[in-house]
Amino acid sequence: MMSLPFLLFACGLAAGWFSQRGVAISFWIAGVVVMLVLFRVHDSDVLNIAL
Amino acid sequence: MPSDLSRLLNALGLIAVDTVLALAFIDQLWFRDLPCPLCILQRAGFIAAGFGLALNLLFGPRPSHYALTILGAAAGGTIALRQIFFHIVPGTGSYGNPIFGMHLYTWAFITFVLMIVGSAVLLLNDRQFARMEPWSSRLDVLSLTGLVTFVIIAVGNIFSTLFICGLGICPDAPTGYLF
Repeated sequence: MMSLPFLLFACGLAAGWFSQRGVAISFWIAGVVVMLVLFRVHDSDVLNIAL
Repeated sequence: MPSDLSRLLNALGLIAVDTVLALAFIDQLWFRDLPCPLCILQRAGFIAAGFGLALNLLFGPRPSHYALTILGAAAGGTIALRQIFFHIVPGTGSYGNPIFGMHLYTWAFITFVLMIVGSAVLLLNDRQFARMEPWSSRLDVLSLTGLVTFVIIAVGNIFSTLFICGLGICPDAPTGYLF
């Protein structure tokens, strides 16, 4: 699961290498969304600080 | 900014990102400092940010490519900042070994901020986007080195993360490789 963002970014780079710019950017968007979802999943502790 | 200078600066920026990610691998493999889940996500943030520079090299400089770099660095910087806040109160511990007095997540945050500032500075010059000649898809040695290394590191992180976390959610403080 945690390797999914890297997989999506690697697919995007491969698409870019083969001149598929739109596909590359789509993979980038998917990778960032998965990355942020995984961040939300792992960010379960409450911060003990006063901002 | 001539397109050659734009290509050079983007290639150097991508090589800088490669260097950061390679240093993280050296810390993991040589010093056996396994990355935590947030550390892995910060690596993903560097890949996301470097992605825009890679597109600049492949397709020519575009504001949207710099936007990808800025957004990727903002996402990675948010994750790094979250980890800094987690350990910022004295006595709450830390994760990993400090390097030159600061932990890797603090260095990561500084680097993400520098990437955002660097992208904004590169965006200041409009002439790179108004070139008359078509962008040459033929890559010079520096660009090719940056791109190939970037792809290798991205693929390397797929396997590294699989070995540490498996197919599920990563443990908070991994102690060894699963495979």
